[in-house]
Amino acid sequence: MSARQAIQVGTKTVKPVLSTTPGEAKRRVLNLYKAWYRQVPYLVKDFDIPKSEEQCRAKIKELFLKNKDVTDIRVIDLLVIKGQIELKESVNMWKQKGHIMSYFKPTEEPKPKDFLSKFFSSNE
Amino acid sequence: MLKAVSRAAGLAKTQLSKSLPALSTCSVRLQTCPPDPTCIKEAWKIENESIISMPDEQRQKNALESTITVPTKVDLTPVNGVPEEHIKTRRVRIYKPSKNAMQSGTNNIHHWEMEFDNRQRWENPLMGWTSTGDPLSNMKIQFSSPDEAIEHCEKNGWMWYIDEPKIEKSEKPKNYGLNFSWNRRTRVSTK
Amino acid sequence: MTKADYYCSVKLSRCRCCQSKFFNESIRMLRQPLTRALALKSPTRAAPLAARCQATQIQPQPDKVEVFIDDKPVYVLPGTTILQATAQAGVEIPRFCYHERLAVAGNCRMCLVEVEKSPKPAAACAMPVMKGMRVKTNSDLTRKAREGVMEFLLVNHPLDCPICDQGGECDLQDQSMAFGSDKSRFTDIHFSGKRAVEDKDVGPLIKTIMTRCIHCTRCIRFASEVAGVDDFGTTGRGTDMQVGTYVEKMFLSELSGNIIDLCPVGALTSKPYSFAARPWETRRIDSVDVLDPLGSNIVVTTRTNEVLRILPRTNEEINEEWLSDKSRFACDGLKRQRLVTPMLTDSRGNLTPVEWEDAIVAAARALRDCPPEKLLVVAGDMADAESLMALKDLANKLGSENVCTEQYFPLEGAGIDLRSSYLLNTKIANVEDADFVLLIGTNVRFEAPLLNARIRKAYVHKETDIALIGPQVDLTYDYLHVGESASIVKDLATGTSSHEVMKRLQQAKRPIVILGADQLKTPEGSALLAYTQELALKVQEKLADKEWKVLNVLQRTASQVAALDIGYKPGVGKLLQSGPKVVYLLGADNGVVSRDQLPKDAVVIYQGHHGDNGAAIADIVLPGAAYTEKRATYVNAEGRAQQTLVAVTPPGKAREDWKIIRALSEVVGERLPYDNLDEIRDRLSQVSPALVNYGNVQDNNYFAQARALAQSLQKPISGKMDVQLKQLEDYFMTDSISRASPTMAKCVQAVLKQKQSSY
Repeated sequence: MSARQAIQVGTKTVKPVLSTTPGEAKRRVLNLYKAWYRQVPYLVKDFDIPKSEEQCRAKIKELFLKNKDVTDIRVIDLLVIKGQIELKESVNMWKQKGHIMSYFKPTEEPKPKDFLSKFFSSNE
Repeated sequence: MLKAVSRAAGLAKTQLSKSLPALSTCSVRLQTCPPDPTCIKEAWKIENESIISMPDEQRQKNALESTITVPTKVDLTPVNGVPEEHIKTRRVRIYKPSKNAMQSGTNNIHHWEMEFDNRQRWENPLMGWTSTGDPLSNMKIQFSSPDEAIEHCEKNGWMWYIDEPKIEKSEKPKNYGLNFSWNRRTRVSTK
Repeated sequence: MTKADYYCSVKLSRCRCCQSKFFNESIRMLRQPLTRALALKSPTRAAPLAARCQATQIQPQPDKVEVFIDDKPVYVLPGTTILQATAQAGVEIPRFCYHERLAVAGNCRMCLVEVEKSPKPAAACAMPVMKGMRVKTNSDLTRKAREGVMEFLLVNHPLDCPICDQGGECDLQDQSMAFGSDKSRFTDIHFSGKRAVEDKDVGPLIKTIMTRCIHCTRCIRFASEVAGVDDFGTTGRGTDMQVGTYVEKMFLSELSGNIIDLCPVGALTSKPYSFAARPWETRRIDSVDVLDPLGSNIVVTTRTNEVLRILPRTNEEINEEWLSDKSRFACDGLKRQRLVTPMLTDSRGNLTPVEWEDAIVAAARALRDCPPEKLLVVAGDMADAESLMALKDLANKLGSENVCTEQYFPLEGAGIDLRSSYLLNTKIANVEDADFVLLIGTNVRFEAPLLNARIRKAYVHKETDIALIGPQVDLTYDYLHVGESASIVKDLATGTSSHEVMKRLQQAKRPIVILGADQLKTPEGSALLAYTQELALKVQEKLADKEWKVLNVLQRTASQVAALDIGYKPGVGKLLQSGPKVVYLLGADNGVVSRDQLPKDAVVIYQGHHGDNGAAIADIVLPGAAYTEKRATYVNAEGRAQQTLVAVTPPGKAREDWKIIRALSEVVGERLPYDNLDEIRDRLSQVSPALVNYGNVQDNNYFAQARALAQSLQKPISGKMDVQLKQLEDYFMTDSISRASPTMAKCVQAVLKQKQSSY
């Protein structure tokens, strides 16, 4: 027996976080997306980041599409809430330039992926 | 006085206030003996907030009290913020803690636990404490059954396996008299 | 995501798991399909907890008596003690002298409980239950009794917990906190002081501080009942009573470390571990021992990436809750003589440290340049199944079939094709149900100490008789010595002997035959195995119990069964004589391969964790991980797969063994198709599902076929049998870890010194 993950099927009844239907959740996501989209020119200007508006919009689209496979309404709602927090932090300038730039470039060095370089570079 | 009003308002918000009449004054309480609140005829108290709230807010409130149907498989990995390398590469062991061989007590081993695979630790040169770069190393969570542990791992996307303890013993009466039986090998010369 | 965010969310998810009632509630309703989808054996797994919670709903059973524990009815077998009955009801009674696996002593009085209609409190550990008995385990009387006992015990117990090694895991400490009083009324000690007792010297493993002793006599009972070394006892009485050996003497047992665990106070503590750590600052990792073939379950205690001590872990099917001394104390060998960096021989023939890249490239070049038939792979004592599998796959990909183990096993007849021919088929736990045991050419006491403890348990409690063919050794119990010649087995098997043993074997309802695998090394080995199979099968056929297995082969090492399962050839024999060009040693340290047997230009690659015999002859050294440093599969002598867990990380540049072979395969150009542990375990399960069925044993049944194939091998045999481990001093240092352990060396010295003493 190696480690595994179970296959779970069926549905269950739970309490909602914000939305009650997939349509409503989708509306929230789109609203959030539009809010970010509208904010882009201000972000570029306020934070004085070396990125164009197109690049920022592409990044926003990429980050939203990263979670395109999420179907659980509650998870979508939580993601929306987290997105709103991020947006608020950006708009109110609670974030700093580095925080915005970290959307574009991860702060840590990428780790090797293939077996041999993993073997030679670390003892994990 | 102000304080009392706000406290009453706070009470009225609770679920209890809907099914029971509002708090009565002392004079009423004195008359009814025994004071059974269900016998008291009084108008339902309607929460102030529900009257003054906008229809939108009201709808939202109702929605939150309703239930929705979602797939059984919950995947929290998009929201829980654990880096991908700590989800994909980690293995969770679900087990029952073993009894400490040095002690006879067994009160702390009647549950199930999950732990992650062990990663490197080192002695911190400053204080001699143990350091680790593994944020999940102390995440030992207790569960009352392995199913709950599995559920939790599934939700967080961790691969798991179960380690079943082999501690079932057959029931065998012990006997003080065996110490003194004259024809058995259980009898020993010294105590 | 920033780091701070991540830590917050870790915390968040933890909170959610305990608080989200609604999550769990709704899940529980749909639990059934989940468990079914998983195909888990959930009922057996959840049973003990459920049974404890529902003690009140148990239906009356005819052959049991009803007793009431705190007014809760419990049904127990007649003759059960009160303490056992309360345990069934889920109530734990405090105790010092009582131990489940030892005889009842009844002398500490801590387990006093109130029994209704009884004029005085009863000792729960010794009092049998009676029908309708009402026991109160938490009444005023019970509590007062406990408090009184604690007060008496503490009169003479020193208050040195801050400097006591037992502190933090001490029964006396715990129970005085839970049941004791806050003050003592004994004032006369102000004049004479507390009782003080001289410390005893019982060897290099056990430290004694006898002033702390509370006379529970657990150590005495363990020594005489389980270890079978009747050295401990008490002298004097009253205040003068002392536990000890009377004359100064080492505790000459291979199970001596267990009395450290048994001691409820700090009177007996571990000498190598003394003043090393407190239990609350250590981490405990469940693992499996590999220093003997039984695979005892252990808990490895670590701090700051260092193994501090090893304790037994309860497994009723293997080691109960005991552990042999080598498994327990050889752990300091894990810090010495380690290979911490890859090495290559330089121009002057000295091994010099190099980087992994260089070592792997050098090894790959040697493997690539070697003609397939000139490659020899030898696996040693402590190789895990994953690395065995990877190395065999690599050799096969290179076109070689020369993969073998150090230990020999005859290949004639059924050979290793049928699993039943090389396993301990009866299973360790069933040995205690046997009523006659025939040992052939094995000294079980030192080859598998806990199997010997099981046989001794059967000998003491079930009146089992034991016979031995082979050199006369001290097995800690009486046995019938049949002789040393292997021909006795032949005579018994062919029916030409009318020895008493044959009669006993035939009369027995559950006989077992245990053959030591060491005897099969000789040219007569295959015949001896054939005769043993014949004898065992002849006896087994006539048994009323059709499930009972008679034939057992006791392997000597932890890796052998897995290696044979995977398809390694046992023994190097002919392959070594054919002049290999490259020899790959996977932890082979027993000196089976030596330089003078090899051609001058042969390249020896050694992969392992200790600088022992193997590394001494190597040209290329690849440092691997010891059993505490990797998650790896080991199969014990019964054929039970178990896994070790990572307790500490490998030292220096050492790596997990299968990963070294996987990396090497890629550089050689024959990439093995597994990148992580789950994938290599899938490969293992392709070879044999039993290798990854952790914790369980499969029944083997091809005895008749093995016997039929062995018919032609029944040739006359005449040799005398000999065993490698005869005396206690032979036991301690048998493999690369225990040979590197200073504690084990001290044990050998102490035993030899004790042998010269007149006691």
